[in-house]
This record gives sequence, structure tokens and C-alpha cells, in this order.
Amino acid sequence: MDIPGPQPSGSWQHQRSEPDTLEYLLTEVAKGNQGAFGAVYDQVAPAVLGTVLRVIRDPAQSEEVMQEVLLEVWRTAARFDPRAGTAVAWIMTVAHRRAIDRIRSQQRASERELRAATASIAYDEVSDAVEASLERERVRRCLAGLTDLQRESVTLAYYGGYTYREVAELLGVAVGTVKTRMRDGLIRLRDCLGVE
Amino acid sequence: MAGRRAGLHTLVGAYVLDAMSQPDRAAFEQHLHGCEPCREEVRGLRETSARLSTAVAVAPRPELRQQTLQATARLRQLPPEVGGEAAGPPARSWLSRMGMPGWLTGTGRNSWLVRLAAAGAAVVIAAAVLIGVNVRSMQTRISALQQRDSAITAILSAPDEATVTADIKTGGKATVMMSHHAGALVFFAKGLISLPDTKGYELWLLGPAGKRSVGMLPPVRGDMTGPMLVRNLQPGDHLGVTVEPAGGSGQPTSAPIVMLSLDA
Repeated sequence: MDIPGPQPSGSWQHQRSEPDTLEYLLTEVAKGNQGAFGAVYDQVAPAVLGTVLRVIRDPAQSEEVMQEVLLEVWRTAARFDPRAGTAVAWIMTVAHRRAIDRIRSQQRASERELRAATASIAYDEVSDAVEASLERERVRRCLAGLTDLQRESVTLAYYGGYTYREVAELLGVAVGTVKTRMRDGLIRLRDCLGVE
Repeated sequence: MAGRRAGLHTLVGAYVLDAMSQPDRAAFEQHLHGCEPCREEVRGLRETSARLSTAVAVAPRPELRQQTLQATARLRQLPPEVGGEAAGPPARSWLSRMGMPGWLTGTGRNSWLVRLAAAGAAVVIAAAVLIGVNVRSMQTRISALQQRDSAITAILSAPDEATVTADIKTGGKATVMMSHHAGALVFFAKGLISLPDTKGYELWLLGPAGKRSVGMLPPVRGDMTGPMLVRNLQPGDHLGVTVEPAGGSGQPTSAPIVMLSLDA
């Protein structure tokens, strides 16, 4: 494996304009570089699909949304502004928002769940890359460090696609409590993961 | 409402997790607009929620890669934004640079609505990409939708923007956001009942300048119908909606199910 020299620990989000960072690749994608787009696809498509799948459940629709998200990245790469956040945060925000929009536009959740239940496409966790499993482990550990209410509030919202009011209903706690737990849960997660 | 500001600020978490209804989101984005520390917090928490995404990565089916890469050949890229808007606050620029205004929603107070408008363009793009046919006419439709979207954005951000809502007799709520200065409005409806294929909802401007059809609403899908852009407002106009044959009528043939006064 190629080791690109010393890196300050925990600062992956600051490696800008290095040849294979997403930020650099996006500047190439913005110029219409299809090869760079392929590299972006390889880096983010698994996380995009995983996220969308968690929220939407139905594999066929999730694949469709994943492709839409990637094509949106292609289309709008020139508008990405690295001063306002990392490329991965930008893309995952797009992906999550789009998955949420998809389920909220389908009024009846039952319909969605029915489709998911009868779906037959199976996915594997991305396990080939060592970083992927390390990352998964780190997030899991940090999630485990939250209080139950914080963790449930964050995961029901992010992976479950529920609104904070729905989460409050599901957990049988006050709406104000859920709002607070979502925020302090994320803050604790941020600090645990060393996000700047 | 004591502590309304503080109450809003705690919504940062729900906002980042997309755990808000659209009206809540719109209200919060308005708050964000004037709150630099909030935008900074949103930025950090978005980096965090992105990690929740990378932690659940799964391998897409291999054929999707080729399919997606090939689709790029049929999809024109947006140019970078030049000059002008560079002075915007970072959270806003990050999101509004997306090109489809508010598609991702920035901080504009009505950006969720703009996003709805833009969803039209997104759907067309997805269709063009996934079906892969008739790309030229798709491009034409996309640019027409984008023009409409920027017109809608202009109305929603006009200094004299005013909003009126009214109940629809047959169920649901109609909303008009208008700018008299621009002489235009954006109409949308929530909770409209869907009609048989042979019927449709037609929008009218009614006033001293006469009765003018402004077109048919798209078929009801989901909770929200529209937005529809209506131009050339005249003084004293009302906006009405009637149920007409699917192809539309030259004159209203039934009583309006909702009528909105457009007086300033």
C-alpha cells in the first residue's frame, strides 16, 4: 500500500487539493473529467447507497436515488465551495436530504415498507477496505458513548428518516427533549469523532 | 412564547439530521440566516452526520457504476458561479451554489418551496438519465424548468413578497406567495383531492382585466401540488381554481373551489 507521507492525525477533512482527495477530484469533475468522476463514484457511492438504503429501505428506489445523487454531484461540481465544508459532508447532505424527500413525498410509509419487505436485492457491507471497517467501528463506538435517548434520537432521525416530532412520539418523550438530545447527541458524537 | 430564540437554536440537531417538517425547516432556515454561530455549528454537525453515512456504506451492484458514468455524457454540467454572490455567508453559499436554487436548501426563508420547484428539474434529469431517450427534448425541458425556478426564486426573495392562504372547499389549503412589484405569484396547494383522469384543476386570474386562464395544475401526486408560476398580474385580480375537463376550458365552467384576493 502506498503511504503518502506523514499526516496529522484526525485531520482527513483538511487534506485539500491532494491528488486523490474528493476536493481535488471535484475540481476535475467540474471540468468534465469523467475519470475523476469515476474516482468520486468509487469513493462515495457506497456511503451514499448505504445511507439512502437505511432511509428508504426499498433497494430499487435506493439505487435510483443513489444514481441521482451522483449525477447531481457531476452536474453541480463547479458549485462546490470547500470553504463551507468538506466534499464528503456536502455529498452526504445531498444524499440524505434526497432520501428524506423521497420518503416524505411517498405519503404512506406502509407502502414503502411493503415494497422493502418484498425486495430481493442483497447488499454486502463494504468490508474490503480496511479504512471502511475502522471507520464503521469508530462511529459505532462513539454512538455507544451516547446516552440511550441521545443515540435513539439521532439514529431514528438519521437512519430512520423520522422527524423530531415523530421521534418524540415513538420514544414517548417531550418534543423539546428530543430536539435537545438530537443536538447534544450530535455534539458529543462530533467531539468523540474528532470532527473540527 | 418565552425562549423562542433558544428554542429555535436547539433545532440545529434536528436540522442537520433532516428531522424537520418543511414549515419547521423554513422557520429554522430563516433563523440561520441571521445567526452566524448557528451556521458554524451546522457546518461542524454536518461533518459529523456525514460520518454516520460513511459508517453504513454498502457495495453498490457493479453494473450501476457503468450506468451512472455513462449517464454523465448526457448531462450538461452547471458552470461555476462567478462574481457577485461571493459575499454571502458561508452556509448559504455552500448550499445555494448547488445551482438548483435551494435544492438542498440554503438559508432562504422559502427555500423549501424553491426546492419543490427544483424537484421538477430533478425528476426530469433522473428520467433523462435512467431512460436515456430523447435527450435533446429533455434538455429543453430542464432549461425551461430552471428558468421557471429562477423566476420563482425572484418572487420569493422580493422585498414585497406577501403570502396568502385559503382553505379549498373540496379539501386542502391553497397558498399564494406574490410580489406585486414583480407582477407575479407562486401558487401551490396542499392536500388537494386527486381527480379522475378526465378532470383537472384549472387556475384563473379574475378581475377588472377579465377572466384569464393561467393553466392547469399538474395531476395531484402526494401532498403538495405545484408550485405554479403565474405572471402578468393586473390590479384587482383574484386567483381562482375550478375543476375542468382535463384539457382545460376557455371559461370557468364550475364554481371556484377556492378564491384568493391578491390585493396588497
